[in-house]
Amino acid sequence: MTGRLRRIDILLIAGAFLLLLPFLKFQRSTDYIIFCIFVLSFDLIYGYMGRLSFGHMLFLGAGAYGATLFAEHVSPNPFLSVLFAIVAAAAVGALLGPVVVRTTGAAFALINLAFNQVGHFLVLIAFARYTGGEDGMSAVFSKVGFLDFQDKRMMYGFCLACLLLTCWGMKRLTTSPFGILLRMIKENETRVKFLGYDTFRYKWAAYTISAGVAGFAGALSILNYGYVTPSFIDTNRNVEVIFASLIGGAGSIYGSLTGGVVFMAISNYLPTYIPRWEMFLGFGLLLLVFRFRTGIWGALSALEVFRSRREGEGG
Amino acid sequence: MITTLVYGFTIGGILYILSIGLSLTFGSMRIVNFAHALVYTTGAYFLVVALRTLGLGFLPAAAVATVAVLPIAAGIERFVIRRLYGESLDYAIIATYAVLLIGVDLIKWVFGATPIPLSDPIGRDVALFGISFPLYRLLIIVLAISIHGVLYLFFKRTIVGKIVVAGLEDKDAVRSLGIDVDRYFAIVFLVGSGLAALGGVLYAPITSVHPYMGFQVLLISFAVVIVGGMGSLQGTFLASFALGLVISITGRFWGPAAETMVYAVMAVVLIFKPLDV
Repeated sequence: MTGRLRRIDILLIAGAFLLLLPFLKFQRSTDYIIFCIFVLSFDLIYGYMGRLSFGHMLFLGAGAYGATLFAEHVSPNPFLSVLFAIVAAAAVGALLGPVVVRTTGAAFALINLAFNQVGHFLVLIAFARYTGGEDGMSAVFSKVGFLDFQDKRMMYGFCLACLLLTCWGMKRLTTSPFGILLRMIKENETRVKFLGYDTFRYKWAAYTISAGVAGFAGALSILNYGYVTPSFIDTNRNVEVIFASLIGGAGSIYGSLTGGVVFMAISNYLPTYIPRWEMFLGFGLLLLVFRFRTGIWGALSALEVFRSRREGEGG
Repeated sequence: MITTLVYGFTIGGILYILSIGLSLTFGSMRIVNFAHALVYTTGAYFLVVALRTLGLGFLPAAAVATVAVLPIAAGIERFVIRRLYGESLDYAIIATYAVLLIGVDLIKWVFGATPIPLSDPIGRDVALFGISFPLYRLLIIVLAISIHGVLYLFFKRTIVGKIVVAGLEDKDAVRSLGIDVDRYFAIVFLVGSGLAALGGVLYAPITSVHPYMGFQVLLISFAVVIVGGMGSLQGTFLASFALGLVISITGRFWGPAAETMVYAVMAVVLIFKPLDV
C-alpha cells in the first residue's frame, strides 16, 4: 500500500462523481460530495480507530453554525468562514476529547450522544438569540475574485476539489505511522500501551482531526445551501452516517465514498416510494449487522482478492 | 422546594424502574440495549389500548400492558440480542438501535404520531408538610423503593439471583459449574424489560404517550447507568434519585435545561471516574 493517492485514484473518484451529474441537479450532487466528506471524517474514528460514535453530528453542526456565525458577524468571505468552521469544530473536538477518548465501546458511543444532545440544546434553546433557534438563520457569502458560490456549478467544482483534498489527506494520514498506530489501537490498545506509546494522545489527536473534517463538511453544506437549522446537529440523524459507513464498508476511503453515495441515493429516492422510511433503515441496519458486515466495498475487495488468488493458483 | 424534591423523587423512581433493566443487561450480556426504549414506549401504548379499547380500570390495564410486552421483549432477546453475544459492542448498539427504529415506525403506523394525553388515574391529592401532592406521584416513589427492595432480596437470597450475581462477576467460572448462564441472563433480561414496560405505564399519565417518548428517556437512563456503574443495583438506585433531583431542581430554575444538566453531571462523573468497558 502506498501512502499517496495515486493519479488513477483521483481520476476514478472525480469521474465517479461527475457521473452523478446527468441524474441530479448540481446542488444535489454537491450534497452527495459533502456527505462523503462527513462519512470520511466519521470513518477515521470508527473504521480506523475502532470507536463507534453516536454523536458525530455535533461536529457537523459546530462547523455549520461556526461558518454561519462567522459570515454574519465577522466577514462574509467564504474561505475564511470555512477555515473558521474547521478550527471551531476541531476546537470543540479538542475540548471534549480528553473526556471522550478515555472511554471505549458503549461508553464512547453514549458520551458522544450525550454531548451531541447538549450541543443541540445549546443552539436550539440556550443561544437561540444568536442561532435563530428552531428557525435557523441564513448565511450570505461574498464573492472572492472569480469564485462565486451562488453559482451552483462553481460550488460543485469547489466541493469536488475539497473532497479530493480530504481523500488525499485521509490517505496520507491513515497510511502514516500515526494511522498505523490508530489501527493498532483498534486491534488491541493494551498492547500498544505496552509498546510504550501514550495512546491517549493519539486518540485525542485523531478525534480532533475527525471533528475538524466533520466541521469542514458542515461549513460546505452552509456554503451550498446558505441556510443553517438545528437539523445539522440533530442527535437522531447520527444513524445516517453510521448506516452509510456500514453499507459502504468501514475502514477504507473507497468504502466511505461508496457508502456516502449509496446512502444519499437511497435516502433521496426511497422515501418517495415507500412511506415507512425509518422501518426500512432499521431492517437495512439489521441486515448489515447480521449478514453483510464488510459493506459493499468490503464485499467487492473480497471478490477481488478471491479472484486474484484463484488466478495465482491457476498460473 | 419540597414540591421540587417530591417531583425529583418521582422522576428518580421512574428512572430507577427503567434503568435497572438496562444496567443488568449491560452488566450481564455486555450489550447496550437501545431496544429498551422500545419496550418502554410499547408498555405505554399497550396501557392506552387496555384503557381505551378494552375499557379496563387503571390497575388491571397496567398489569395487562406490562405482561403483554413480555413476548415482544422475549422476541427481541431471542432473535437479535442472543445472536450478538460476545460480538463487538458496536454491532449490538447498531442492531438494537435498528430494532428501536423499526418498532417506533411500527407504532407510528398503527397509532399515529399524535401524542395521546392520559389523566391521573387516582386524581386525589394528599397533604404533606402542609403542601398537597398528587397521591399518584407519591405512590410511584413508594413503588420504586419497594421494587428495589424486592430486587435486592432476589439477588441476595434466591438461587436464581445468586447465579446471576455470580455470572456478572465471572461468567466462565459459573459456566464451568455446569450452569447454563445464558438462560439465567435471559430471565434477567425479561425481568428488566417487564420493569421498563412498567416504567412506561407509570410515566404515561404524567406526560403524554407519543412514539418518541422512549428516545428522550433512554438517553437519561443511559446517564443513570453510567453514573451508577453498569450492572450495579445499588449504584443504579442512588444514581436514579440523584439525577431525578438534578432534573427537577434544574427544571425549577430553567425548564429547558433540565435534561441537559443530566449530561453535564454525567460528563463530570466521567472525568473523575473514567469507566473501562
